[in-house]
Amino acid sequence: MSKVEAIQYGDRKVYAVAAFNRGVAEWLQRLPTVWVEGEVTELRRNARWQSVFFTLKDPNDGACLGVTIARSRFDALRLDLADGERVHVFGRPELFEARGDFRMRALSIERFGLGDHLAALERLKKKLAADGVFERKRPLPFLPRRIGLVTGNDAAAKKDVLATITGRFPAARIVVAETLVQGPLAANAMIEALRGLAAAPEVDVVVLSRGGGSFEDLLPFSDERLVRAVAACPVPVVSAVGHEQDNPLCDFAADARASTPTAAARLVVPDATELLARLERTRAGLARGARSVVERRRERLVHAHDRLRRAPALAVERKRARLEHAAGRLRALSPRATLERGYAIVRTHDEIVRTASAVSSGDELDVEVADGRFGARVE
Amino acid sequence: MSAVDLTFEEAQRELEQIVERLERGEAGLDEAITLWERGEELYKLCVGRLDAAQGKIEELARRAEETRP
Repeated sequence: MSKVEAIQYGDRKVYAVAAFNRGVAEWLQRLPTVWVEGEVTELRRNARWQSVFFTLKDPNDGACLGVTIARSRFDALRLDLADGERVHVFGRPELFEARGDFRMRALSIERFGLGDHLAALERLKKKLAADGVFERKRPLPFLPRRIGLVTGNDAAAKKDVLATITGRFPAARIVVAETLVQGPLAANAMIEALRGLAAAPEVDVVVLSRGGGSFEDLLPFSDERLVRAVAACPVPVVSAVGHEQDNPLCDFAADARASTPTAAARLVVPDATELLARLERTRAGLARGARSVVERRRERLVHAHDRLRRAPALAVERKRARLEHAAGRLRALSPRATLERGYAIVRTHDEIVRTASAVSSGDELDVEVADGRFGARVE
Repeated sequence: MSAVDLTFEEAQRELEQIVERLERGEAGLDEAITLWERGEELYKLCVGRLDAAQGKIEELARRAEETRP
């Protein structure tokens, strides 16, 4: 290890640039080798170069680290890396003295495997769940004024969703935001699209849609920032990503998830045909209801009228009966009943004879018995 | 109150009260005749109102039928 020489100017120690860099470089070499995780970007390999260069990017906040690895070592790993892939890099920090560039000297690279991805997702899922990101489930609007659709610029997938929504509800108004849906830039792009649509006027629900794809293709839909953006979206979000067996984390944060475009359409718009049929049935019921109100009133009225028609005659009958009853009693009190028992009423000169002294011999008498009258003479 | 100023329900209620009063035989003969006349008047009013309502319903139903999509 060469000594770093300083030049003395009076009482000031001054280093040459090369000396300074060498000093820092030597100091850095004391640091241990470590594993660093990130996404590969800007991979540059040239057959004439001794080293392969790439930038390791932190997927969460975009922090970057330059990495170099000996070309022979890189080729021997046979990784066939592409931009955007997640890797673990084993190496130590170093300073490229000629340029003063800080970077990592890689000794080995391992592709971040499916198992690692799954484990990382599981950890992230637990963390998001603990933060309450999966808890809010808002009801979807029955009939949204506008539907926001975040979709890739892949014509087939977009057409699929649009066709199923307008198939169910032809008058649906859809605002489409085409965006990247895979690769390292997708998560950010989708967050932008989601925010833009949620802020657009009259958008009452947003559908986040993507056709099927490989596990890696769907990874942006499990990106922590996107998942949090979905949960924080001011309007309800329907996640329609991949197929039934895919469970990207945005599915859990969304207010509803759909495994197919058809299912998503069913969630965001009602079936117009069915709706119209229901409306027609209701309308028919309306007329029936109105008619039956009149009918019930009429029946009640007719019943009351029947009673009214009979009532006066009934009242007269009742009075007549009472009259007859009184007449009967009156008749019972008349002398006729007495006559029928054998008594007679004797009158003279139209006066009833009550004493013997009231008549004299030779007087004409009028005798009334039960069934008539006859004349007689006093002797 | 003149029968024309009554609502259908008021007229119907009064008619039914008249009928009950007549049926109980509480009214005097002269009053019974007056009540009967009043009842007939109320009945005519109610029937007229019902016919009008039914006519309107049928008209609306016909118009609804015409505008069916």
